[in-house]
Amino acid sequence: MYRWYGSLGVWEYPVNRLRTTVACPRDSIITLCSFFRFRSRMIFFFDPTETHSRDRPTQKETHREPTLPIHSPSPLLAVLSFSGFTEALQIHGGLKPMLLYVLRSIRISSRARYPLFSGFISIATSKMRDVKVRANYSKSTDEDEILSVKSTPEIEKKYVHRVYDAIAPHFSSTRFAKWPKVAAFLDSLPSGSVVLDAGCGNGKYLGLNPSCFFIGCDISNPLIKICSDKGQEVLVADAVNLPYREGFGDAAISIAVLHHLSTENRRKSAIEELVRVVKPGGFVLITVWAAEQEDKSLLTKWTPLSPKYVEEWVGPGSPMNSPRVRNNPFFGLESIPETEVSMKEQKAESSPSFGLESIPETDESTREQKAESLPETKDSLGEHKDENSVEELLEAMKMNQQEYFVPWHLPYHRAEVSGASASALASGLAKKDDRKGAVVYNRYYHVFSEGELERLASDVDNAMIVDKFYDKSNWCIVLQKAALNQD
Amino acid sequence: MRLITHNMLSCNIKGVTNGFPLKIEAEKVIEKEVDFNPDFLRHMFAKIEWKALVEAARSMGYAELPEDSPDAAAIDSADETFLRKLHHALLELHLEEGALVCPETGRKFPVNKATFWTHIDSVDQSGGSASMWTT
Repeated sequence: MYRWYGSLGVWEYPVNRLRTTVACPRDSIITLCSFFRFRSRMIFFFDPTETHSRDRPTQKETHREPTLPIHSPSPLLAVLSFSGFTEALQIHGGLKPMLLYVLRSIRISSRARYPLFSGFISIATSKMRDVKVRANYSKSTDEDEILSVKSTPEIEKKYVHRVYDAIAPHFSSTRFAKWPKVAAFLDSLPSGSVVLDAGCGNGKYLGLNPSCFFIGCDISNPLIKICSDKGQEVLVADAVNLPYREGFGDAAISIAVLHHLSTENRRKSAIEELVRVVKPGGFVLITVWAAEQEDKSLLTKWTPLSPKYVEEWVGPGSPMNSPRVRNNPFFGLESIPETEVSMKEQKAESSPSFGLESIPETDESTREQKAESLPETKDSLGEHKDENSVEELLEAMKMNQQEYFVPWHLPYHRAEVSGASASALASGLAKKDDRKGAVVYNRYYHVFSEGELERLASDVDNAMIVDKFYDKSNWCIVLQKAALNQD
Repeated sequence: MRLITHNMLSCNIKGVTNGFPLKIEAEKVIEKEVDFNPDFLRHMFAKIEWKALVEAARSMGYAELPEDSPDAAAIDSADETFLRKLHHALLELHLEEGALVCPETGRKFPVNKATFWTHIDSVDQSGGSASMWTT
C-alpha cells in the first residue's frame, strides 16, 4: 500500500496542531525510524521534480499538485512519489526554495483533501528555525525578495483581488467624488502630459485634466472593463510590477492603492515602480489610508488582524470561523477583554500586540521569528509592559494596529448581478447580512502610520519628497524623480 | 489599445532584459476618430521609439509612416501631413482583439475587447476559481 523511501534529513512541522514530518527520502529504514521517533501523524514525501519551474516563463500549466497515491480518510500517512533529490535542488536553486515549495505543495494538496487543514503554523525545531526565519525576514536575499514581491500573497488574492472582482460594478458606482487634492495635482501638470495611474479602479481620475493623456492600470479585470467601456486607455497590470518601460510618463498617481499590499517589500516596490516609469523630473502622487482616522468610529467597524495572521498563508473557510480566530481575542468587533489582555501582556516580551498561538513547545522561537519578520513593530511598546493600567496597554496595542479587514456591503440585488457572490459565500470568503440585505466582503488593508509613507519613499534613491500632507484620513506624498546629470 | 500605449509597454516577466517592443498579433483593428492636437504630438514625439511605432503600425495594417524618423529639430517645422499620419497611428488605431508577444520569451499577452492583460503571477498560480489571470 505504501511506497517507502528513505530520508536524508527530517524536518518537523506542526501542521494545524498535527505534527508533521517532511522527509527528503533516500533510505526507507531511516524514514520509518523517524516516523516513530517523532511520533508524527503525517509524513510527506515530495517529488520536487514534478513541478513547474520558475525559470520557464513560457510554460502554460498552472501549479501542479504533487501526486498523492494514497487517500486516507484520516491524515495518518500521505505519500508522494519521489525521485532525484539532487536534480530537485538544481531546479529550485537550493534547499530553502525547495522546502518552501514543498510546504506550499503540502498546504495546497492537503487543503484540497482535508478541509480542516488551514495552513502551517510555521515553527520548527532549532535546526529548521534558521531556514524558516530567513524565509520570512524582510531583509533577505534577492531570491526571497523576488518570491515575496513578484508573486501575489494569498491574503491579497483572497481579500483584495477577488473581492474587488466581485464588487466591481457596485464599487464603481460609489466612486465618483473627485478628491480636490488629486484634482489640483492633475490640473497643475503641463498640457500634453502623459499621466500613468497605477491602481486606477473605476477610472475616476483618468481624463480629469482634459489636456493630459491618461493611461490607467488596475489588477482587477472587471474594474478595467468598466474603464474601457468608457473609452479610457487602460490595461490589467500589477502595481508592483508595471509593464511599462522606464521614463515614459510625465507624471504618475497611485490613489488609495498601496494600502492593499501586504508586505513592506511590495509597498516599497510599488513606489519604486511609480518612480521608474516617470521621466526624470517627473512627479508622483501617492495617497494611502491613514491608521489615524479622522472618524474614529470607523475603526469599530474594521476587524483588526494580528500581523502573524497576515503573514501566514490564509487557509480556506472564513477567517472568522477558523479555530485560530476563535481562540484569538483580536478577531472580533467587540473590544478586547481586559483579563485576556493582561495575561498575554505578561507572556509577550517584545511584541505585545500580536496574537499568540497555543503551540506548547515553541513559544520562544515564535516570538523571535515574529520580532524579526515584522519591521514595523515599535520597540517602545516593551516599556508599556511596566505600566499599571490595562487600559493603557489596550491603547498601545490598538495604536500599533495597522492590519485590518474593512468590510464592504454588497447589496443582494447587486450580488446577484455579479454572480461571483455565490461562490464567495460558499467558500466562506463572504458572509450574508440579512439585516442589511447585503453580502459582506472583507478587504485587506495595511493602513499607514504617520511617517511610514515618508520613510518608504525616502528609501527610493532617485526621488525626492517634495510635498507631504494629511488630508481626509489619508497620508499623501508627492515625489519628484531626480533629473538626469545630477549626482 | 492604442499604439501610444503599446510604445510604452515592455515585458515585465522576471529576468527578461529585452522585452521591448512587444510584437503585435492583430486580429481585430478598429479606427476611432480623435481630435487632432499638434502640440501634443510634438510632445509625444520625443518619447516615442520610432522603429517600434512603425513596426507596430504596420502590423495593425497602417504602413504610411516613414521608416526613418524625422529629426527632433525637424519635428517642430514638420508639415501637417506627417503630423496627421503620426496622429492617426498613435491615437486613432485601436487593437481590439489580438495579442502582444514578448520578443525574448515568446509569452503572449492577450488583448481582449481593447483591454490588455499583463498580470503575471510567475511563481504561484494556485488562485481560486474566480481567477482570471493569464498563465
